[in-house]
Amino acid sequence: MTAHGLAVVWAERGMMLRGLVTTAEIVAIAAVLALALGLVLFVLLVRSQGGPVARAIAWLIDLMRCVPFMLFCYLVYYGLPYCGVLLDGWTAGVFSLAVYNACYFAELLRGAWTQLPREEIEAGSAFGFHGWRLIRHLVLPPVIANALPMLGNQVIQIIKDSAFLIIIAVHELTFSANEIQATFYVPFASFVAAILLYWLLCLAVERGVGAMVRTAEAWR
Amino acid sequence: MGGADLWSLAQGAATTLGVSFLAILFAAPVGLGLALIRWAKIRPLDPVVATLVSALRATPAVTLVLLVYFALPTVGLSLSPFAAAVATLALGSMAFHCEIWRGVLLAFPAEQLDAARAFGMTGRQRFRRIVAPQAWRFALPALVNEMTLLIKVSPAVSVIGVVELTRAAVRIGATTYAPVPPFLIALAFYVPAIGGIVALQRLLERRYGTLPA
Amino acid sequence: MALSSPGTDGRVVLEISRLHKSFGAQRVLDDVSLTVRERETVCILGPSGSGKSTLLRCVNWLEVPESGTITLSGSQVGWNESGTKPMGEAALARMRTRMGMVFQHFALWPHMTVLQNVMEAPLRVQRRPRAEVRGEAEALLAKVGLADKRAAYPARLSGGQKQRVGIARALAMRPELLLFDEPTSALDPELVGEVLAVMEDLRHEGMTMLIVTHEMAFAREAANRIILLDHGKIVEEDTPERFFTAPATSRARQFLARYV
Repeated sequence: MTAHGLAVVWAERGMMLRGLVTTAEIVAIAAVLALALGLVLFVLLVRSQGGPVARAIAWLIDLMRCVPFMLFCYLVYYGLPYCGVLLDGWTAGVFSLAVYNACYFAELLRGAWTQLPREEIEAGSAFGFHGWRLIRHLVLPPVIANALPMLGNQVIQIIKDSAFLIIIAVHELTFSANEIQATFYVPFASFVAAILLYWLLCLAVERGVGAMVRTAEAWR
Repeated sequence: MGGADLWSLAQGAATTLGVSFLAILFAAPVGLGLALIRWAKIRPLDPVVATLVSALRATPAVTLVLLVYFALPTVGLSLSPFAAAVATLALGSMAFHCEIWRGVLLAFPAEQLDAARAFGMTGRQRFRRIVAPQAWRFALPALVNEMTLLIKVSPAVSVIGVVELTRAAVRIGATTYAPVPPFLIALAFYVPAIGGIVALQRLLERRYGTLPA
Repeated sequence: MALSSPGTDGRVVLEISRLHKSFGAQRVLDDVSLTVRERETVCILGPSGSGKSTLLRCVNWLEVPESGTITLSGSQVGWNESGTKPMGEAALARMRTRMGMVFQHFALWPHMTVLQNVMEAPLRVQRRPRAEVRGEAEALLAKVGLADKRAAYPARLSGGQKQRVGIARALAMRPELLLFDEPTSALDPELVGEVLAVMEDLRHEGMTMLIVTHEMAFAREAANRIILLDHGKIVEEDTPERFFTAPATSRARQFLARYV
């Protein structure tokens, strides 16, 4: 069973690897977009503390944290055409991942921000830092540095959520594994191989984040 | 969207809750057991558990449910879609439960354990009398958080044909050609359900606090 | 160094012989030997990092020394009779019940009431009858002045009260020896006195005590012997009179100059 399965999977490794590459691309692009958007949301949250913008953003973040990603994905894919926007599966998928995780990134940054010692910011104000400059030099660096491990965890979450895109016909890794098992009747080897590849992706992200955390510490 | 559609959405919601609840029922005690194995460093199980937990935490629910449903029959274990759904969600969740309990056990105040040791308590006594009565309180907020994650991941089981809430909404949309309204109704269930659990988690965090330093 | 305090001709309760302990490359205890006799109060003083706490924790094997022996009333701690194998968990547990320990941060079990804290080990480890344990626990709580707090949870107590419970808890084991690990270091200054008062009472009652402390006045007043530990070595061993007025070594003089 397994030997035959592995042989088939090895023979079809091209397809499996194409799926892996698609997954990696989707995750990388979505993660970058999500982080950028998340930073924007976070900065808006900080700058308009207590104001209507901050409340609206907080409300949006709270809402998104109560929505299953798969449902959100469906909503985007089937709902956007009503707004006149027609997207293919891949684009809709990346867009969904980006918007969904932007809210989670913003929440992680907000959490790290509340842990920041007030005194450091007050000292900055005393020295004349204010507004965007204060945020850029005295808030963002420590917040990002402290949140780094959690941000890394969220990227791993993006890797796992990317598998949901199979439902909107994106040819990512799980799709490839499913194609192989359906064609050659080797479900065990096929999905185990896919899981191993996901695991490797996650380990790579963990290592990368670990290295970034260490450089952040050294820099401090 | 008529009454029949609303009814099938209600059934879908019930399925979501049923699958999630059963999964947690299995995942919680098994996760604790795995955490204890790792905490007590029981060879040769410890590295096996560590590897298993690491792999499960890196595995997407969709991929795992396909593995459980399609691959297990090849080794003689044939599960119904519902059973496979519960098993998959349980497997994923128990890995996270294990890490939650491990975190609590590792952060347990050493001085209390020192005192217990100094007074002659054995390992089993220390666990039963000192650690266990307190540990569950510290783990509670994280465990409740894990419940919300499980519900959010539950739509993954629709790929093997389990008609939970999201799939029920998709099916209605496919027949009425108006996909968005059923999705919005599904949201109207998910958001309060998950939001309610999050509110509970915040309450528990306030009441039981986090581990004392 | 002749020792001429009362009760020092009693039998040896604790014998520490040539203890060595390192944490990694760091030598923490260096050839430490000391003796505690019945009814003696021995105070261990020293700067931070001198190894005082580690020494105390070795006595009941919370820390395991690399070499050297610990003997309680003639029985070896940590090793079996012939000294060839580590003691089994049950034997070690029995050994530990003969020594009481009071911790710097009290180490009370927060999910149990004060009375339950005091009763827990005598009941479950020594397996004494409940009625007897309860009676003794209540008497001990009365003795340390906390009879009215028996049903309270530790979180509701002040530091001084918690430590007094800690002492009652240790006494409930009817130990041959009481170990104190900086019992007042974590207390606000105004709460220190109530704990020291209890320790004074114990001394008068003839309890054998080994105390690691920073409280110089207490050590001067209550100790039969002072031991100064520095960088893991015993630098000086004296009566309090001699130690505080005319120390023999320059290290002792430096220590006194800095800390007194």
